Amino acid sequence: MIAEAPVIEALSLTKAYADLRRGQFIALDRLSFSASAGEVFGLLGPNGAGKTTALRILSTILQPTSGTALVTGFDCVTQPARVRHKIGFMSANTAVYDRMTAWEMVEYFGRLYGMEKDHLRDRMEQLFDRLQMQKIRDLLGAKMSTGMKQKVSIARAIVHDPPVLIFDEATSGLDVLVARALLDTVSELRDQGKCIVFSTHIMREAERLCDRVAIMHEGRILAEGTLDALRQQHGQQDLEDIFFDLIREHDPTTATL
Amino acid sequence: MKWNNVKLIYTREMRDQLRDRRTLFLIAVLPLLLYPLLGMSFVQIAQFLRNTAAKVLVVGTDELTDHQWLPPLLAKDGFDAGLFYKKPLDRDNLKRISSEELAAAQEDSPRESPPADAMQAGSAALASGQVQVVVFFPPGFGARLQQARESLIARRGDSAAEGTDLPKPQIYYNSANEKSRVAQLRVDRMLRNWRNNVMQTNLRDSNVPLNAAHPFDLQPLDVAEDEQRDAAVWSKILPFILFIWALTGAFYPAVDVCAGEKERGTLETLLTSPALRREIVWGKLLTIMTFSMATAMLNLGSMGVTGKFVLTQFQGLSPMAGQSGMLSMPPVVSLVWLGIALFPVAALFSALCLACAAFARSTKEGQYYLMPLLLVIMPLMILPMSPGVELNLGNSLIPITGVVLLLRSMIEGQYWQALPFVLPVMGVTFMCCLLAIRWAEEQFNSESVLFRESERLDLGRWLVHLVRDRSETPTFAQGVFCSGLILMLIFLMNFALPSPSANAINFHFIFQTTFILQVVCIALPAVLMALLFTSQRKKTLLVDKWPRWQFLLAAALLALFVRPLGIYLVIGIEQLYPISTEMKVQLDSLSDIFKSTSNPWLPLLMITVLPAVCEEIAFRGFVLSGLRRVGHKWWAIGLSSVAFGLVHPILQQQIAAAAVGMVLGYLAVQTGSLLVCMVFHAVYNGLAVAVAQVSEQASSSAAHSYSSWIFSGKDQFQPWVLVVSVAGTAAILWWLHRLPYQHNKEEQLQEARERQFAGA
Repeated sequence: MIAEAPVIEALSLTKAYADLRRGQFIALDRLSFSASAGEVFGLLGPNGAGKTTALRILSTILQPTSGTALVTGFDCVTQPARVRHKIGFMSANTAVYDRMTAWEMVEYFGRLYGMEKDHLRDRMEQLFDRLQMQKIRDLLGAKMSTGMKQKVSIARAIVHDPPVLIFDEATSGLDVLVARALLDTVSELRDQGKCIVFSTHIMREAERLCDRVAIMHEGRILAEGTLDALRQQHGQQDLEDIFFDLIREHDPTTATL
Repeated sequence: MKWNNVKLIYTREMRDQLRDRRTLFLIAVLPLLLYPLLGMSFVQIAQFLRNTAAKVLVVGTDELTDHQWLPPLLAKDGFDAGLFYKKPLDRDNLKRISSEELAAAQEDSPRESPPADAMQAGSAALASGQVQVVVFFPPGFGARLQQARESLIARRGDSAAEGTDLPKPQIYYNSANEKSRVAQLRVDRMLRNWRNNVMQTNLRDSNVPLNAAHPFDLQPLDVAEDEQRDAAVWSKILPFILFIWALTGAFYPAVDVCAGEKERGTLETLLTSPALRREIVWGKLLTIMTFSMATAMLNLGSMGVTGKFVLTQFQGLSPMAGQSGMLSMPPVVSLVWLGIALFPVAALFSALCLACAAFARSTKEGQYYLMPLLLVIMPLMILPMSPGVELNLGNSLIPITGVVLLLRSMIEGQYWQALPFVLPVMGVTFMCCLLAIRWAEEQFNSESVLFRESERLDLGRWLVHLVRDRSETPTFAQGVFCSGLILMLIFLMNFALPSPSANAINFHFIFQTTFILQVVCIALPAVLMALLFTSQRKKTLLVDKWPRWQFLLAAALLALFVRPLGIYLVIGIEQLYPISTEMKVQLDSLSDIFKSTSNPWLPLLMITVLPAVCEEIAFRGFVLSGLRRVGHKWWAIGLSSVAFGLVHPILQQQIAAAAVGMVLGYLAVQTGSLLVCMVFHAVYNGLAVAVAQVSEQASSSAAHSYSSWIFSGKDQFQPWVLVVSVAGTAAILWWLHRLPYQHNKEEQLQEARERQFAGA
């Protein structure tokens, strides 16, 4: 399932914050990766590895200190609005409006993406059917359960049928059922030919879902490749073991915790 | 920017706010409840004042009844109706009881020892609230009145009686008791009337004309018509109330749509949508503005309706009724003006609140910013209320104060007096609005604001960080700080330097102060800040490379062409907003001193080179470099020229200087060289001296001197000079416009972002 031209390209992304205490704090250190259409690219790493920062740069909310990120050929820094047209972004931080119903919420974002009214309605009906959201159509965000909110977020992220989808720890805080439904949706989207970047710290998810993974630690990629390639390279079957080895190799103190 | 998106965001935010019960309560329900409730309690008080008849105990009535000649004071259960001719209602409000009645009432209640005398009983009754006022006619009161009357009728100068005090009936009351205080006022008024009656009776009976004791009357005549007087009152109250509510109405929604959204995590959702930051800001701004205006309008409306109700209730009811001082409802025209003024003020407040709220991390933090905001805005609203503050150029340039003053003139109907100030007030308000909106936009663009984490405050580390992590050129905040610092230093210098007497001002003194002003107050802070806070100092001060010789030539030529236009600008400003004669005398004496110096080159040096070097280092060097970080050269040029204008001493000069600052800023950006600006500045200032001297010659000397080719009088040019000036200025500016100027990073980014849809 290896596609031709990369849809997402991150080229030596660096993000440094000025920190009063530590001087400069490097959140991302020359991070480079690429992902193509029809594949799920997994960013794996412990908390604080810089996954969220990297994905926020891709979604144009943050600007890199140096380096470039291209999404479908558009530059995330200089053409942010065009990039945002091409992506659907969903993270643990992107919440649902409390005082809006599911339908209104998705419709609002569809309109912001510049979709025609009729087209939008058709698309939404189809989405609400597929994600089994017709029941919560007129439910206010404040009254939804976490699972319902997650569904609304997915619908919101894919309503404009973007070629690129970014999921940042999207399963955190979900129960097994909802998480599995989400993973199913993601692989369905992959089969539709979307380019998907999926960050997680849960190895099982990555094993289930990702075509290629990059293991991140302290702003750097320690290893990158298809699951099989990684397994061969490190002589381990379990992704979790590979992950653990890599981190211990890089920073012995962390792994002993 | 797509207005479609703005509309979309606006409708969503409006719906969101309207679904929030708290907001609705504050905006709509509170004003609808508050004023009627207040009004009701007001009416209640009025009713209370009217209906509660106070009981007055009169002790010593015998003193009166013994003397039949006295005009009537007492009547059955009360007092004589004739004593209340001015306020007939007072009569019903005063009930008289005698000592016997009081004693009878007290017998009902168990009491151990009956009080010794009537006065003691009266005090006790007053203390216990049985009566509100006790009037005590001392023994011998009637006899002494009789005595005075007889000596008057007999025309006998009673020396014995004159020396002693007049008889003094005592009025006991309890000022801590509202009811007692009101009753005391009424009794007092009534007894004064009675005293008057006694006097009139005496005079009449002794055949003295009444006007002997009352030779003339005073008749105050108010030339103000009722509406005019009311307008004067309303013009002070209404803007204040309206704007306070506009601010309150803007603040809470602002906190909710920014900080609240940050807190709830929906802001990041919105930011990943294709909506531009500017569209988001405008959508939210319009929402806040709607609420601000609705709150102000609803409050005003509710207050108006309640006020009307209360006023009609008051007619003829209260002790104040019938007085000519009662306010009537504000005229409709004033409400129209209020509505018009509300628009820009609401816009300004909304933008300010939006910027503050965007900065806040949480709603709780957002609420904290209300107080500082109020502290800044309140004085600006109160200033126009203080007496003597009138609409003039200086005041009209103060944000908000200008609007309030202009509004006041409009409500008072002084349209013509207000007309010259419409433009400055509108201009300042518009500029402030734009600045605030721009600031809010910056907040939304700044990731450090959007994803701000709380960090322990540590001043020392922060200062170290400023120097250690200094950027190539100053930041926007440092640019603003530098201009603020310069202004403050100039202000302090004016305090610190002794102001000499008028004849002690000589060239030496002027040179000294100018030198200190330019070098210490203006150039030094900029240079020091550049050294401390920037890593590329030469680039910051635009001295990193030599300019092309064409630039220097162009700058000199441009100064030559702009000068005549500058002179006409100054004349125009002075016509619109005349300089006070005092100031003129001072300015003239200054130029006389320059003329009288032994070395003519010294003043020229002081006027041309010194400011050209120092002011350029500060304003086109450090300040402009910092402000350019905003990402748009015209914003930077505009703001730096305002700062440049402000360092000049008088207002008329400030305006002219700000205009020249625009040209200087443009030169700095387009050529990237401070030297070019210095050349322009020096030539421009030098020409001012030259023009003043030569044009004076032209007006005084014989008609055929060479100077009359150029000048038609003092500071007046021949028409061809003007034509050449305009053409030359336009040509050079066009040439500058065609030059590729050096963009900084922020400007490059902004331009790239504006181009992002070009190919779409």
